[in-house]
Amino acid sequence: MTASVTSVVAKFYEEYSKTTPSKLKLIDAYLFYILLTGIVQFLYCCLVGTFPFNSFLSGFISCVGSFVLAACLRLQVNPENKGQFEKISLERAFADFIFAHMVLHLTVMNFIG
Amino acid sequence: MALIYSFIVLLLASYINADKETLVLLDNLAIRETHSIFFKSLTDRGYSLIFKPVDDSNLVLAKYGQYLYKNLVIFSPSVEEFGGSLSVEAITKFVDDGGNILIAGSSNSGDVLREITAECGFEVDEEGAAVIDHLNYDVLDQGKHTTIVADTANLIEAPMIVGSKKTAPFLFRGTGLIADKENPLVLEVLTASSTAYSYKPDSPIEEYPHAVGKNTVLIAALQARNNARVVVSGSLDFFSDEFFSSPVQKALGGQQYPRSGNQDLSESLTRWVFKEEGVLRVGKVSHHKAGEKDSPQYYTIMENMVYEIEIEKLEKDKWVPFDAKDIQLEFVRIDPFVRTVLTRGADGVFRTEFKIPDVYGVYQLKVDYTRVGYTFLNSATQVSVRPLEHTQYERFIVSAYPYYASAFSMMGGVFVFSILFLHYRTNEEVKKKSE
Repeated sequence: MTASVTSVVAKFYEEYSKTTPSKLKLIDAYLFYILLTGIVQFLYCCLVGTFPFNSFLSGFISCVGSFVLAACLRLQVNPENKGQFEKISLERAFADFIFAHMVLHLTVMNFIG
Repeated sequence: MALIYSFIVLLLASYINADKETLVLLDNLAIRETHSIFFKSLTDRGYSLIFKPVDDSNLVLAKYGQYLYKNLVIFSPSVEEFGGSLSVEAITKFVDDGGNILIAGSSNSGDVLREITAECGFEVDEEGAAVIDHLNYDVLDQGKHTTIVADTANLIEAPMIVGSKKTAPFLFRGTGLIADKENPLVLEVLTASSTAYSYKPDSPIEEYPHAVGKNTVLIAALQARNNARVVVSGSLDFFSDEFFSSPVQKALGGQQYPRSGNQDLSESLTRWVFKEEGVLRVGKVSHHKAGEKDSPQYYTIMENMVYEIEIEKLEKDKWVPFDAKDIQLEFVRIDPFVRTVLTRGADGVFRTEFKIPDVYGVYQLKVDYTRVGYTFLNSATQVSVRPLEHTQYERFIVSAYPYYASAFSMMGGVFVFSILFLHYRTNEEVKKKSE
């Protein structure tokens, strides 16, 4: 049982490092960083309690929002999905990403108190 | 000219201390002679005594709404009915309006006396009954064992009322009282020993005596809630010249004392009951924030507050600063939130500093000092405590620092990522460019 799981994970890792373009790997690293930050925040809230609840929500939503936007960017930039995003060029995708981040961080700063 | 002089004399006369006007009611004027030492000691202390027979038809306590006397001495145990405008109701009203009374009973006390003492919280035994003690009677007793010797050990623990306890034992011949133990205002000043009881000396005992053992109160006292004081002694002979100057010795063997302690005790008692001793009053009360001098309009929660109170004691007709180590201050909003002890400063003012609790509302600063022998001291000052203003909270909450950090790190992350993303070139692109 464990042997098959480890072999699946090893094969996945090998395939991933071979077939994924480096640009996507960059986005994946960024996503992983956001994920870590989000998990740490959530654990801190579980330990310490929800005292400034607005601050917790704001910090957590900042992580979640950034994750979602980065995931969207990855989708739009992936050359395998070119068929679905014909009208959206790389630059347009990145511009959308930045604009959405502006709105996100404005909201976060307002709500964090 | 004579008119002016008489007017001035009258004016001066009105300034005589009205607190020393005392009406003395007697069964018969012979009591004035048999108790001459007692009355002389009162006049020596500045009291102006007015002697009247108790059935005098001109007796009046108040004229035109003002009391003529501050104190009343009733040395008429066998009175059946008061004369003039005096009655049990008038005397009770006298106490309600702040007058002090010293009452002495005897074995043949009238019912009127029973009514008055009942109003004050004591019960006098029936007509003819006396306190009998077959083990503690004096050598000079007539045979019925009713002249008893009361030890100083049976005195209440209150130097304010009874003076020092180092006097000789007391001689007592009269009736016994019982006081309700549930009554918080009543004090048993002198009780009989545990071998005493109160009953008719000549009758065989067929029912349970009115008072038995230590429950037999010889001298009782009451301080009413308006600080009026009443002392009831079961024996008129306690204050007589005969008992003052008589030697004391228990018939069943005991030390002989050349002089009884009756005079010392009666002096302490009259000092207490006529409000010479043990009288307190509140002077100035002030409160302010720590570090400031003036009282603010309102306080804010969790501030430090200083409370000051002046308490004075009457000593020889002068008010002097009081000293005690157990005066407490309560900071009450329905329930007390803070209770501290007030400490006396060098200037005689009691003060304390404490932190206002984290609860806002309208509070009262209460000082409630109730001690045996002293007048009741009550002072309440109202104070309002407001919650924090919007700008008085901390700007950044320490426990939210991780959230602040993550929000800023997300912003920083986007910035770094976008720089890397835009300037990223794969090996193929680099090769293409260099071609």
